[in-house]
Amino acid sequence: MGYVFDLRGVLSGQYLDWFVIGVATTLALTCVAWCLAMAMGIILTLIRMIPLPPLGWFVALYVEYHRNVPLLVQILIWYFGVPSLLPRPARQWINAHHGEFLLAAIALGLASAAYIAEDIRSGIRSIPKAQYEAARSIGFGYLGAMGYVVLPQAMRIAIPPLINQTLLLFKNTSLAMAIGVGELTYRTREVESYTFKTFEAFAVATVIYLLISFGIMALGSYSDRRLKLETR
Amino acid sequence: MKLLSIPGVAALATLAALLAGTATTAAKADQLADIKARGKLICGTLGTAEPFSFQHPQTRQIVGYDVDICQKVADSLGVTLELKPIAVEARIPELTQGRVDILAANLGYTPERAQQIDFSYSYFVSQQKLMVTKESGITTLDKLAGKKVTALKGSSSEQGVRRLIPTAETVTFQDTSSAYLALIQDKVDAFCASELILVKLRQQSQAKTPMVVIEKSLFVEPWGLGLRRGETAFKDQVNGVLTKLASSGEIDTVFSKWLGAGTAFDIKRDFPVEEIKG
Repeated sequence: MGYVFDLRGVLSGQYLDWFVIGVATTLALTCVAWCLAMAMGIILTLIRMIPLPPLGWFVALYVEYHRNVPLLVQILIWYFGVPSLLPRPARQWINAHHGEFLLAAIALGLASAAYIAEDIRSGIRSIPKAQYEAARSIGFGYLGAMGYVVLPQAMRIAIPPLINQTLLLFKNTSLAMAIGVGELTYRTREVESYTFKTFEAFAVATVIYLLISFGIMALGSYSDRRLKLETR
Repeated sequence: MKLLSIPGVAALATLAALLAGTATTAAKADQLADIKARGKLICGTLGTAEPFSFQHPQTRQIVGYDVDICQKVADSLGVTLELKPIAVEARIPELTQGRVDILAANLGYTPERAQQIDFSYSYFVSQQKLMVTKESGITTLDKLAGKKVTALKGSSSEQGVRRLIPTAETVTFQDTSSAYLALIQDKVDAFCASELILVKLRQQSQAKTPMVVIEKSLFVEPWGLGLRRGETAFKDQVNGVLTKLASSGEIDTVFSKWLGAGTAFDIKRDFPVEEIKG
């Protein structure tokens, strides 16, 4: 009795629907978490650049926490731990409004923000300090000098590591399965537990993950080429 | 596109090679003869499901009802028993890929599973029930329409909820504790599992969060030992062992040791050992 590889079993009817829903959820989770990570990453970098030691320590602590605690643990803390500290109406609101998706996005976004902040900081450090000083000397304040002069250049230099973080974030969404978010890995295991077509189900998921990853890479290298700073 | 082509082609080539590999898994000789020749019966069991298979707190051995049943099969063949702990969702792949000879792993009968593997006669029948928090005020199954119901990922409870409460939203977790925590925190409205698990959880949470197990079973699930398809000689042997255990009354001794009076479950055996009809 040889093994018959049959994709039709997992790519039809309700199973196909589950894959489609899974891909949509994975992409949505990636997008929401990415926006949060970017915003938070920039804010953290700006705070760290302020020459006031306690602020720098705070950001360093933030980065170390997210870098050293396993992401799965962070997700479980956000899902099971944080809501239990909230007042009851807030908890009920979260439970009624796709709490698992929301909290997974927060956990993933905040964790990625730690890495993104480091990448942007590296980018900023590659911009000669004289540019910041020049901006200040023609009348920009701290935010103005950062926002108009330093960050636009730093972000461009940081594009390759940021693409890398985006890829990692995209793959890490699979951990949200642990708190019941119906993303691609969750749906794949569901299809698998129904059909027992283990190999087919995971082959489909592998190909989908690869294709989306390649898409992100292509988009990333395109924007890197378009936005690259002319260097001497 | 330069970035894409090389890793892309390599990855797809690897995948294709893997697919070709599994597609040609060769047929095996008679399994019964193999086991006898090897002198060892490899039994896949969960190892985390009291009282069916779990680690004894003192001896650190995996013991339980499932283990004892497997031991009887091994004894009948005159071979030693080797236990292999496996995860819930790995049960059927482990069996079909030949890493274990037989499954004694809380394996409830479903038609989908029966397409992949053979089931022995039933050696246990599980009542699948739903547990809710007392606060929710839910007392009957029909109140669960449109609610969020949790179950363990890959379990037959999950499939039962989908089939019998189609309007409910199923949310699955990897382990009992996550699902239970989700129920306590009102993230889901009900938890579907075997009555045995629920009774134990209810006892534990009595003081802090009172729970109610809804009286009426959602469905009744016969458990069989899992066997690879088409191994008729081995299947006959296993069914023979189970029939003999039932007729000699020996199965009652094994049953009450793990589930009877004096245990946390305190139930009586009220099911026959017979062929499971889909």
